Amino acid sequence: MRNIWKAAKLDGSLVKPYARVICFTMLLPIAFAAINRSLPTGVSFAMCFIAMTTGYPFSVTEKNGMERLYGILPVRKWELVTGRYLFVLALGALALTVSLIAQPLVLRAMGETVTAADLGGAAVGGLFLFALYTVFQIPGYYKYGSIKGRVFLYIPVAGFLATLLLLPKMPAGNPLVAAIAGSPVLLVALVTALVVGMYAVSICCSIRIMQSKEL
Amino acid sequence: MTDYLEVKNLSKSFGRFRLCDISFTLPKGYIMGLIGPNGSGKTTTIKLILNMLARDSGEIRILGLDNIADEQKAKAALGVVFDTNYFSEDWQVAQVEQAISVFYPGWDSKRFAGLLQTFQIAPARKVKELSKGMQMKLMLACAFSYDAKLLILDEPTSGLDPVSRDELLQILSEYIEDGEHSVLFSTHITADLERAADYITYLSYGELFFSGSKDEFVDLFRIVKGGTEELSADLRAKAVRVRTFPTGFEALVKTEDTGAFSALSIEPATIDEILVFTSRKGEDYA
Repeated sequence: MRNIWKAAKLDGSLVKPYARVICFTMLLPIAFAAINRSLPTGVSFAMCFIAMTTGYPFSVTEKNGMERLYGILPVRKWELVTGRYLFVLALGALALTVSLIAQPLVLRAMGETVTAADLGGAAVGGLFLFALYTVFQIPGYYKYGSIKGRVFLYIPVAGFLATLLLLPKMPAGNPLVAAIAGSPVLLVALVTALVVGMYAVSICCSIRIMQSKEL
Repeated sequence: MTDYLEVKNLSKSFGRFRLCDISFTLPKGYIMGLIGPNGSGKTTTIKLILNMLARDSGEIRILGLDNIADEQKAKAALGVVFDTNYFSEDWQVAQVEQAISVFYPGWDSKRFAGLLQTFQIAPARKVKELSKGMQMKLMLACAFSYDAKLLILDEPTSGLDPVSRDELLQILSEYIEDGEHSVLFSTHITADLERAADYITYLSYGELFFSGSKDEFVDLFRIVKGGTEELSADLRAKAVRVRTFPTGFEALVKTEDTGAFSALSIEPATIDEILVFTSRKGEDYA
């Protein structure tokens, strides 16, 4: 566990020079929430943006030939991979927290009502979207690298557009959807299970890719 | 345990390249040069030792530990320097320590600071602002700060100016002085070997040509020189390789075979000459 933490910290130090860009990425969606006067839209935009920065540790590694450093550190490959996921999740959690604090403040200042249920819904939705984007992105980056695999950078954009298109078409009368939407506990449990499951599969895939990779 | 590195029957193939049945040992307290022409498998051997490449067969032990089963423990005792820097270029030197030190329980910050001072590297400077020689020293400073027992360097002197090369070789010599550390370094600059190496492992196109002490290696061959008319069929048959010139010839001959040619000029061979003559392209010089 300590090695996973160390690996996550190493990733943190890789993206440190990009701290300003990441801060900007976290703050920009506030404007989007204000323009649309909608917390869910603002939060999904924030998660889309922050998911686009998950390629930074990969690109810094590739640019500096740091695979060799990862190859000589006294850490197992699965620990390095899990550490990277931990770092990405921490980045996502930070962006979600910033969004859930800053966006309601701005919306309230503009006269919009933001309830606890709105906040909870946005939090669950944001977490799910971020997980959905990154579980595909990270194995893609491990497999192809950040240069060859730059198409994975756009997964969040595609996901964001798909969310915008599909959300209005959700069948409101569907009893399953209604049951899930009507029960916050069920919604949280379902999303948590989905997120955990998706990350478990994604981490396993990334570890397999990394273990078969010759540096 | 007297051998810090043991490589037994190591093989690896990819594409058209094959590294075949390589075996050598590096005893504690010595420097070994891993030599061979470009494409002979030096970097592949190093990457296999570091488990950065998966071997097809063979066994590698680092300080008595299996390099795969005990990878973490083995790597904790290993310092590695590549021909180019492997830290983020945007890091400051101090950030390099912050990022790397956590992985090594034996990291000594005071020692690192002292080494930076000795190597004249300012902690506030960014890695990209350092010269190639300085970057090399930074990688060495990191390895020395956790007291790596075995240092592996992949072509560390290539691209360095003569002064930096000399400094680096001096550092390596001092590093093994206490008899508790060993160095394996690959190079094709034979002057480095003459100066620093105790042992030589010579790979030729994926095969082991020689592994043993430097003196033994140099003593294996002699250079026989003479005029064109003195180049006999017997000499041609016994020579490892012959280079002919309009005025005469030079041949690399095994020391044990030189008795028959005592009438000719026989000189000790340099590592450089052995390398050139024994490589398949040696005859291109003719």
